[in-house]
Amino acid sequence: MDSAVSVSGLVKTFGATRALDGLDLEIATGEVHGFLGPNGSGKSTTIRVLLGLLRPDSGTVRLLDGDPWHDAVALHRRLAYVPGDVTLWPQISGGEAIDLLGRLRGGLDPARRADLLERFDLDPTKKARSYSKGNRQKVALVAALASDAELLIPDEPTSGLDPLMEAVFQENIREVRAQGRTVLLSSHILAEAEALCDRVSIIRHGRTEQSGSLSELRHLTRTSIAAETARPVTGLDSLPGVHDAAIRDGRVRFDVDTDHLDGVLRHLAAFGVRSLNSAPPTLEELFLRHYGDELAEDGVRLAGTDR
Amino acid sequence: MSTARPTLAGTGALVRFALRRDRLRLPLWIALGAGLVASQSVSSQTLYDSPAALVAYRDSVGSNAATIAFAGPPVGLSTVAGAVAFEISASVMLAAALMAMFTTGRHTRADEEAGRTELIRAGRVGRHAPLIAAVLVSALACVAMALAIGLVGTATGLPTGGSFLLGASVGACGLVFTGIAAVAAQVTESTRSAYGIVGAVFGVAFVLRAVGDINGSWLVWASPVGWAQAVHPFSDDRVLPLLLCLVATAGLVAAAMTLLDHRDLGSGLLPARPGPPRAGPLLGSPLGLAIRLQRAALIAWAVSLALLGAVYGGVGDAVETLFADNPQAQVFFPGASSAGLVEAYLATIFSINALLAAAYAVSSVLRARAEESAGRAESVLATATSRGAWLGSHVTVALLGSALLVVLSGAATALVRGLSSGDLGSFGRLFAASLAYVPAVWAVAALAVALVGLAPRIATGAAWGGVAYVVVVAMVAQALDWPGWVGDLSPFAWTPLVPIEAWTLPVAVGLGAVVLVLLAVGFGAFRHRDLSTG
Ligand SMILES: Nc1ncnc2c1ncn2[C@@H]1O[C@H](COP(=O)(O)OP(=O)(O)OP(=O)(O)O)[C@@H](O)[C@H]1O
Ligand SMILES: [Mg+2]
Repeated sequence: MDSAVSVSGLVKTFGATRALDGLDLEIATGEVHGFLGPNGSGKSTTIRVLLGLLRPDSGTVRLLDGDPWHDAVALHRRLAYVPGDVTLWPQISGGEAIDLLGRLRGGLDPARRADLLERFDLDPTKKARSYSKGNRQKVALVAALASDAELLIPDEPTSGLDPLMEAVFQENIREVRAQGRTVLLSSHILAEAEALCDRVSIIRHGRTEQSGSLSELRHLTRTSIAAETARPVTGLDSLPGVHDAAIRDGRVRFDVDTDHLDGVLRHLAAFGVRSLNSAPPTLEELFLRHYGDELAEDGVRLAGTDR
Repeated sequence: MSTARPTLAGTGALVRFALRRDRLRLPLWIALGAGLVASQSVSSQTLYDSPAALVAYRDSVGSNAATIAFAGPPVGLSTVAGAVAFEISASVMLAAALMAMFTTGRHTRADEEAGRTELIRAGRVGRHAPLIAAVLVSALACVAMALAIGLVGTATGLPTGGSFLLGASVGACGLVFTGIAAVAAQVTESTRSAYGIVGAVFGVAFVLRAVGDINGSWLVWASPVGWAQAVHPFSDDRVLPLLLCLVATAGLVAAAMTLLDHRDLGSGLLPARPGPPRAGPLLGSPLGLAIRLQRAALIAWAVSLALLGAVYGGVGDAVETLFADNPQAQVFFPGASSAGLVEAYLATIFSINALLAAAYAVSSVLRARAEESAGRAESVLATATSRGAWLGSHVTVALLGSALLVVLSGAATALVRGLSSGDLGSFGRLFAASLAYVPAVWAVAALAVALVGLAPRIATGAAWGGVAYVVVVAMVAQALDWPGWVGDLSPFAWTPLVPIEAWTLPVAVGLGAVVLVLLAVGFGAFRHRDLSTG
């Protein structure tokens, strides 16, 4: 099987904390895979297991056809990691850190390095102490992106970047994909995963909740429809898959399960559609639906649902 | 403290908060200080239970430069209480200075480095409040240690007034080092270098007073440790040196406040200079990285130890004079020659230098642990760097660096001694003698490696505990009435006191085996455990 990462039933505990509780993850070679989950769900822990920095309690883990714990050094030549919380050496400049990490991995491409420094607008002469969080992150990103690694593993790489730099990052990831390399991108930022990822895995409490391509996952979501019709719409509520319908002055708004979209649109057409607006399901929504119950239990009201 | 000064707003709350954070640490430090005095008091009273024993003691140490170098001015030795103060004050003052350094540093530069000060200063807290709160907490701890020493001294049968004066001299030493730490915290950007500065100041102060005490010269007055020891509790009972300490502390704290006014939060006094845009050839391997990270510290240690070795070597002459001027000593050491006493003195100097080299070696090994907990090891170990190579690079720097320190300080001592005695032929023999202590230094370092592998979370504290143990055993064990095995666990206790004792192969081989076993345990455990950050 042509998979870059293959994890099944992965368990990792820290004392009483069960950080990973039977996690599964499949990443095909050449895909950009989004790894999504709320804080503390186990994203960074999974990545550390994949890097051989943590030893799994049980489960099978394969990375680039090797065992991440036993073959760590050989595997690390073929991958590049960007930590979620980049800490650099206070007395070493950004440029030195980039070269150091690149050389320790087995070399980096000087032309690409120069190009990346320019695109990320990074001053390589500053010492780590005087870098902002975002700039520290850029140092790690440049070091990783300037390598020829087959597999890139950025852990929440854009959490400190401004929107402009985020765009630069996305551009770079697209180029990496175009070169046929694989990316495991952990993120909270759904727009980023939507913009970049071929497939995503959503985890919670150390377990994989959903995994698939964006279109597959959209089956689980609802499309919002707003339409204006010639005659008042009736009978909408009795259709399967329709939620929260509101009809007023010849305008209708409702959400529909994406699987039932076809039937509902046929029904609507019979009333003479004058205008139609549909908002595609977003991962955001998927996320909120997925974690909404959990948040609600914690007494958190989701933005938009309290009005 | 006056809350009328807006720059001090919030000091009271910060003091309470700091005391809560330190509610375990400070009592331990204070107990250590009081415990050392109590233990010494009980031992000395048992050992010197007759006037004859006391006279013999006075004659022996009063002319022994090695003891004076470690302990302090040989005064008040006509009473047991005076002997107690002579034996223990240097160790307790070291404890007080370390307590002051760690307490002041933790609540100033360490908080600032971790970004906690930013959080606090954003609240209703004045500019000087964190600094003054740290100084107050440290001062409170010094006063508490002073009182505790007075109490245990009295309780174990020493004169009350002298006991509290001994406590006050220890507390005063702690206060001065509170001030020094407060200044150091303003000058540097990193806690590590602030501690380095305070440690270096203590080292210089200790050497100045040692030389001054051996020569009987004014040099003791150039050293805060000298001031504190000039109190001479149980004999002269001088108060003036205490006032000198207080004035110096006030001056240092005022200087720290001024420095604080002239810098930005998070920075030191010196602006950060830009670095090179490309890495040089050194930064291409784990060993190169370890060398780069530890280079500055190693150079500072090497210069300090070489100077220290030279100074101690130069004092050899005074050791001879001391002996010649002291007729009782010649009675006490029948058949002893001044040359023999110089050899004993040099053996002590070599072991002091070796103890310092062991402290360096441990700090160097712990650099690996610091890299790990800061998360920087993760970045390196995610590259094609094996765990063995990564840890090995730091351990290599620690072992070779500490050996270099022993070599440099030994060479400096032997050279200066040779020059001043006009007998340069002794250089080779003395230099070789200093090398006999390398295995013991490495054993202490290897223990730190084993701890980093086996128990990363407590490794830092435990490894420094190991250093403190070998230092205390070397400084006071003979004078204390502890069971033999307590001292025998120290690798320095195994090492013959070369050059007065003969170097033996079995001891060197035995210590070498201990080093190898501890290293194997450390590396093995590190390869098989999770990387542990935070
Ligand atoms: N070294 C550790 N010791 C103890 N608990 C840990 C350790 N590392 C992680 N955990 C716990 O494991 C769980 C998963 O943490 P992890 O860092 O993997 O989450 P995450 O998904 O990366 O979160 P975030 O989005 O906040 O980065 C958390 O409950 C965390 O507290
Ligand atoms: Mg994380």
